Amino acid sequence: MSRKIERLINLTIALLATQRYLTKSEIFRTVDGYEGSAEAKERMFERDKDDLRTLGITIDVGSFDPIFNDEAGYRIRSENYQLDLGQITPTEISLLSLAADAWQGAAFADAAQSAILKLSSIGVPADPIDIPGLSPKLSNSSADLEIVTAAIASSDFLIFDYLATNLELQERTIIPFSLSNRTGFWYVSGVDQEIQEVRTFRLDRVQGEIKLNKNKDPFEFPASFELSEADTAVIHRSAVIDVRKGKGYALRRLAISVKDLGEWDQIKVPIHSLETLGAEILWHGDDVFVHEPSDLREYIVKQLHALVSNHE
Amino acid sequence: MSKSISAPLARTARLLDLVPYINTHQGIALKELAKHFEVTPAQMNADLTTLWMCGLPGYTHLELMNLDFESGFVSIGNASTLSKPRAITFQECVALLLGLDLIASSLPSDRQDLLTAAQSLRQRLTNILGLPMKLSVEANTSGAVGAAIAHAIETSSGLNIRYHALYKDQVTERTVVPVNLYEADNHQYMHAFCSTARDYREFRVDRIDQATPADVSAEFPAKSDSTEKISFSIKIMGSSRDVMERFAIAHSAIGSSMEMSSYSRQWIERSVMASGAAVLLSAPQEIRAEIAKKAQLMLNRYKEA
Repeated sequence: MSRKIERLINLTIALLATQRYLTKSEIFRTVDGYEGSAEAKERMFERDKDDLRTLGITIDVGSFDPIFNDEAGYRIRSENYQLDLGQITPTEISLLSLAADAWQGAAFADAAQSAILKLSSIGVPADPIDIPGLSPKLSNSSADLEIVTAAIASSDFLIFDYLATNLELQERTIIPFSLSNRTGFWYVSGVDQEIQEVRTFRLDRVQGEIKLNKNKDPFEFPASFELSEADTAVIHRSAVIDVRKGKGYALRRLAISVKDLGEWDQIKVPIHSLETLGAEILWHGDDVFVHEPSDLREYIVKQLHALVSNHE
Repeated sequence: MSKSISAPLARTARLLDLVPYINTHQGIALKELAKHFEVTPAQMNADLTTLWMCGLPGYTHLELMNLDFESGFVSIGNASTLSKPRAITFQECVALLLGLDLIASSLPSDRQDLLTAAQSLRQRLTNILGLPMKLSVEANTSGAVGAAIAHAIETSSGLNIRYHALYKDQVTERTVVPVNLYEADNHQYMHAFCSTARDYREFRVDRIDQATPADVSAEFPAKSDSTEKISFSIKIMGSSRDVMERFAIAHSAIGSSMEMSSYSRQWIERSVMASGAAVLLSAPQEIRAEIAKKAQLMLNRYKEA
């Protein structure tokens, strides 16, 4: 096992040090550790290349002479091998450590720590940040972040069953391009392949496993995408509702405008979904009254009828 | 590094990362080095022995790395090809970017210096990623509030908080002595003695608008159990994801009944109201009556208008 590790290190050093592409035969001749039949060496080299790539090392394949179709050669470019974050300050090192610690016990804890290990080699000491108690943590509500980020990285398809508001399981296929965490929940946004529109999904509402399918076609990033608006569809409508003074704080937070009516305030809130806003309004009981639109009013009245007949 | 990486590969990665680290920490004690890389000193010794055999083709003392660790202190020379830290992987970069965003959104707004540094790092990491992907995290709590609570816990001191009590739908000012912070259902909670209520209470940290130090004599009465849980039962009348999430239930077959309990009467009443036609509260009778009365009152108002 030690021999294999030595060989991998020696191969990395040789491919990094070279100013030109090294052919396989040069590698077998000069790099320590390639032994056995030609076939065995070949197999060894193929595995070694895969192993280095697994470690995140990029190996360039090219030829000495672009004019003549020469034997392929290999090299590792130092700009690809080395970390380049420019000049790093002690404060920045501290911020990055806090960023890594935020993953404690969560999906990318290992990746975050191995990044910090590499950063520690820069040799810049951390300058502790003078804010007591600053150690926010990322919630670990989803173990699927790895597959999601892998799909984002190569614009692959994600296929999963999603629990709709009516509890229907819908199979969705998306090309994801965004991952975010708001109010403690993970969201992934992507282009829904059935409707070719951007949709956002809360990862803990995915039922069962997320599958990844390779996408060979180029993917164009939706340039106009704004995360804050992408929760569901684009908002076309708003509701006009009265909220009693000193009440309805959760609704007031959503307001796009407020008008003082004395005992009440009249506010305008965007409608993302009739059911969600309806539930929020009903939660507030007689502290809230809906004026517009009529379908929201009708929805509320229908629910109230059911509440009366269910509880009389 | 991801868990899927085999032991020999993880060791290869460690050896590659050892070189630049020793290079900037010349003369480091072997024990300390082992601790930094989270291995035993014996393993570190084996790692260094392997590394000692590696170098440029030729493999004479001219090409091999000049590694000295027999004295118990480690130094390295002739390591130029591997002397720079390795590039971070895609996943490592994503982890740092998301973490940084969380830190940045938790920072108090008067720390422009740190906000600028975080922004600059995000920019540089995004360049490394080289992809037009969007990664973002919004902290649940304002950094100032979180920091104030942590400080109060550490020093057993008091806080004046402005709190939005969602079930009562009231914003109140209270004086509390925080005991600890904990996470539940993706939210951060503060367990604290509330001087206003003369009892222990749980506060959702994201609903605390403001927290400033308060002068209190930190006397902790024994935990009283004066607050009793209210048992209630509901019947599912219509399936909806909202209902499942609101009542934290795993199944919602129509017609099924469930027994539950809550500390807050208001929470029960409001949750049933918000569920509209989808949930029927079977017990207790007082809350049933209250819901019917309130719904009828609201209906009347809609009829008048």
